[in-house]
Amino acid sequence: MTFVLSAPRATLPDLRRLWTDAPAFTALALILTLALIPIYAAMALYTRIFQGDSPWMKPVKFHYALGIYTVSLAFFARFLPEATRRSRPWRWFTAAVVIAILGEVVWLSAAAALNTASHFNTEIALFAAVYPLMGVFAVLLTSASLVMGLSIWRNRATGLPPALHLAVALGLILTFVLTIPVASYLSGNGTHFVGSSTRTLWLMGWSRDAGDLRVAHFLATHALHFVPVLGLIATWAFPTQATRLVWLSATGFAALVILTFTQALRGAPFLPFLG
Amino acid sequence: MLTDPHALFQMTGPLAMLGWLSLVLSPLAPRLSQAIAALAIPALLSVGYTALILVHWSTAPGGFGSLADVMALFNDPSIALAGWVHYLAFDLFVGAWITRTARAEGIPHLLILPCLVPTFLFGPAGFLAFTALRAAYAARARMTKVPE
Repeated sequence: MTFVLSAPRATLPDLRRLWTDAPAFTALALILTLALIPIYAAMALYTRIFQGDSPWMKPVKFHYALGIYTVSLAFFARFLPEATRRSRPWRWFTAAVVIAILGEVVWLSAAAALNTASHFNTEIALFAAVYPLMGVFAVLLTSASLVMGLSIWRNRATGLPPALHLAVALGLILTFVLTIPVASYLSGNGTHFVGSSTRTLWLMGWSRDAGDLRVAHFLATHALHFVPVLGLIATWAFPTQATRLVWLSATGFAALVILTFTQALRGAPFLPFLG
Repeated sequence: MLTDPHALFQMTGPLAMLGWLSLVLSPLAPRLSQAIAALAIPALLSVGYTALILVHWSTAPGGFGSLADVMALFNDPSIALAGWVHYLAFDLFVGAWITRTARAEGIPHLLILPCLVPTFLFGPAGFLAFTALRAAYAARARMTKVPE
């Protein structure tokens, strides 16, 4: 009996459960993705370039990032206790997170729209006033991973093998714990570069000749993907040592984030050999 | 190329015409016609409208406060194009609603064609024409109902 319960499941996860486990996050992920259509259209209409990029590049990146984040949370929601998912506090919390994310993307697109008129000082004053609120929203939306990680940590009925259970909970918790310090430093720094950057990496836009704080932010936020995937591999390849390997890889991952963060602070690019 | 409002304008007319054509021919394929005229083309025009507003609204002159402000808005070619696309999208959407409502209420398609033409050219006038036609049908149905 115990053997049957602990055997790795051979079937792929049921994606329809996204809609029943976390309808608000799933709907939001879909909306964020669909909203990319008019944003890309705006990018096509507005060909003037600011500092090497269209002003619409930033909303595009955040729509992808927050879309991936919310659909990931919706996926992990299946490992929350059933009673938690049905509870009123959880539903209020998800509503607050959804509002925070919508607030962020509206703010970003408004900033891009006003980029064409950045000389209007009244708008700049408004944006300066709203900026601290956006910081609160950013912490609130990131806290969703902490709340879910702790709840999954304490849930004894996830149906996951112990090592994978640990990896999912640790990954979610690490996303919050690592992202908050890196992102708060980044937001206080004024620019994501340390030193002057002349070349950037394709797609990610990371600097090739200066420190780039976004590398650590990227890795920190993706802990909720990397650590569970490492847990999945460990469970599959080394079942007897899996739990120890999950602890090891979570520690190593946190170390990697710290390493890339200090590297950026020194003004050194990430993996300079990438060209 | 895409940034020139005059070039973009040339693309909007044929797109809207395709939607109106599908409404005229709707008895042949009612569901396909609705998918085109009530969803696909209005959505496509709306993407264009939204993009134009996102990019050009912040630098546009005028506003909504007075007629003079609204007239000033339309001095900006991109905003004038957005306004035009707004007409095209919403008029077509109303045209699709007229076609759908007439079908559901048993009003013959041939009778709504004279309503679709003013809806296409002068939106609200066409809506008014259909509302009158619909009221006439409702009155006729009430007055000719066989008592039980």
